[in-house]
Amino acid sequence: MSQTSATTGDGQGDFKLAKERRAFLGACLGALLAAGAGAAAYPVFRYLAPRQKADNGQKVEIPEAELTAGNAKYFEYQGKAAVLIRKKNGDLVALSAVCTHLGCVVQWQKANEQFLCPCHGGLYTADGTVISGPPPKPLEKLSFVVANGKIIVG
Amino acid sequence: MSFLKRIYRWIDVRIGAGELVEKELTGYLLPRNINVWYSMGSILLVIFTIQVATGILLLVYYVPDADKAFHSITFIMNNVPFGWLIRLCHAVGSNMMVLILFCHMLSVLFMGSYKSPRELNWLSGFTLFLLVLALSLTGYLLPWSQLSFWATTVATNSVGAIPYVGGFLVEFLRGGKLVGPATLGRFFALHVVLIPSTIAAVIGAHLFFLQRTGVSTPPFGLDDSKNRWQGEGYRYESHPGGIPFFPNYVLQDMTSIAVYFAFFLGVIFFAPHVFFPADAFVPANPFQTPDHIKPEWYFLANYQTLKIFPSEFLGLAVQGAVTAFLALLPFIDRGAEKHPLKRPLFMVCAVGGILLYLALMIWGHYS
Repeated sequence: MSQTSATTGDGQGDFKLAKERRAFLGACLGALLAAGAGAAAYPVFRYLAPRQKADNGQKVEIPEAELTAGNAKYFEYQGKAAVLIRKKNGDLVALSAVCTHLGCVVQWQKANEQFLCPCHGGLYTADGTVISGPPPKPLEKLSFVVANGKIIVG
Repeated sequence: MSFLKRIYRWIDVRIGAGELVEKELTGYLLPRNINVWYSMGSILLVIFTIQVATGILLLVYYVPDADKAFHSITFIMNNVPFGWLIRLCHAVGSNMMVLILFCHMLSVLFMGSYKSPRELNWLSGFTLFLLVLALSLTGYLLPWSQLSFWATTVATNSVGAIPYVGGFLVEFLRGGKLVGPATLGRFFALHVVLIPSTIAAVIGAHLFFLQRTGVSTPPFGLDDSKNRWQGEGYRYESHPGGIPFFPNYVLQDMTSIAVYFAFFLGVIFFAPHVFFPADAFVPANPFQTPDHIKPEWYFLANYQTLKIFPSEFLGLAVQGAVTAFLALLPFIDRGAEKHPLKRPLFMVCAVGGILLYLALMIWGHYS
């Protein structure tokens, strides 16, 4: 009688132990697979990640003579489109050319001295202030200096 | 009930996943004497998946233009983070695919698994083998190195030995009289779209035939290893009392795949240049043939065969005849016996053929 109980007890103990061992080995296998997946995913992520451009933080130089009154000069600044304009009164303005609505590049309207975003009709003044349309914010202003006949943005 | 079990139950009541698992995994029984060679197909599926994945990744930076291709490859190797790893996985993987295909086909040959009613399995498998060789050949040109340029020149030139249409075929393959930018364009299209999609379709057909006919019984460890099918009607070869595919044979598949990965990654990390001779690092120059240009190891026997015959046509004809013989083997070898040791004629031909192939390969390498 007592022997039978002991056997049953041991059997249950063995079953419990086997179940625990199976759960432990399952967890080990899961961890191993996760490590393998990570080891494969990391190089792929690094391979596809955007490369840091060397010109980050660099200044852009534009000869002053290239920009006559009423005209605009588009250029790339820190990986984004930017624009430099010389108003009819001779004032210089440097702005980000990326519309604050959905990221299209605004176009300079020489006759009205305004920027128009052709995507959804956003209208800005020559200083980047929103006149009408969906843009939520004015165009970002960029700092610049003029020295030795060059306009240096940044 | 755990969260995962609840998700499984949610799917099960909608699409009957449990029934599918029972039929295709736990209830899919395999012969009790199944062996490790039956896992070659699974390894090949893994390799093909890796080739597709790394190929797509290489397309992100590779430029299929004769003026830019070599530079784009050196850029991937030297400048893109882990670009060397992706490219080596692809280049070494292509060699591994041919190697494991050889193993898969040899095991099928020696175990007599190609015999009726599995002629279609063999034919689709043999087609896959030829397609993989075509995939390797077209991919070899893409880096636009001296090695790839001149190996392609020699390979495409050999087609010219075919009577009457040879000259036209060479020009058609190259897209011009010589290997050039037009060749790169058409090889790129073949390598990236046409051949891989055809391979995927033929893999589908191969697996469909396997699923319809059932897994063959290995001839080892049996008193009677004869093929019992007489062609009387369709029959699915079931294996009552066999071992379940899941989890038993999946464990064998996983083990084989792990061993393969150890070998594959071992080559990539410890012997990365084993498949890259010096000419692979020099940009293609159409006016300078390098010394001792040799094809990849799996084309060395073909290369040497072309060299030893007095006429190129004869060399090509012999290769064509051998290929046709191997492709049609299930229709030629109609014997019922599957055990290799009980097939003396087969053993002599197979072992002799393998030794001849290896001898030609070594001769080609040192010639």
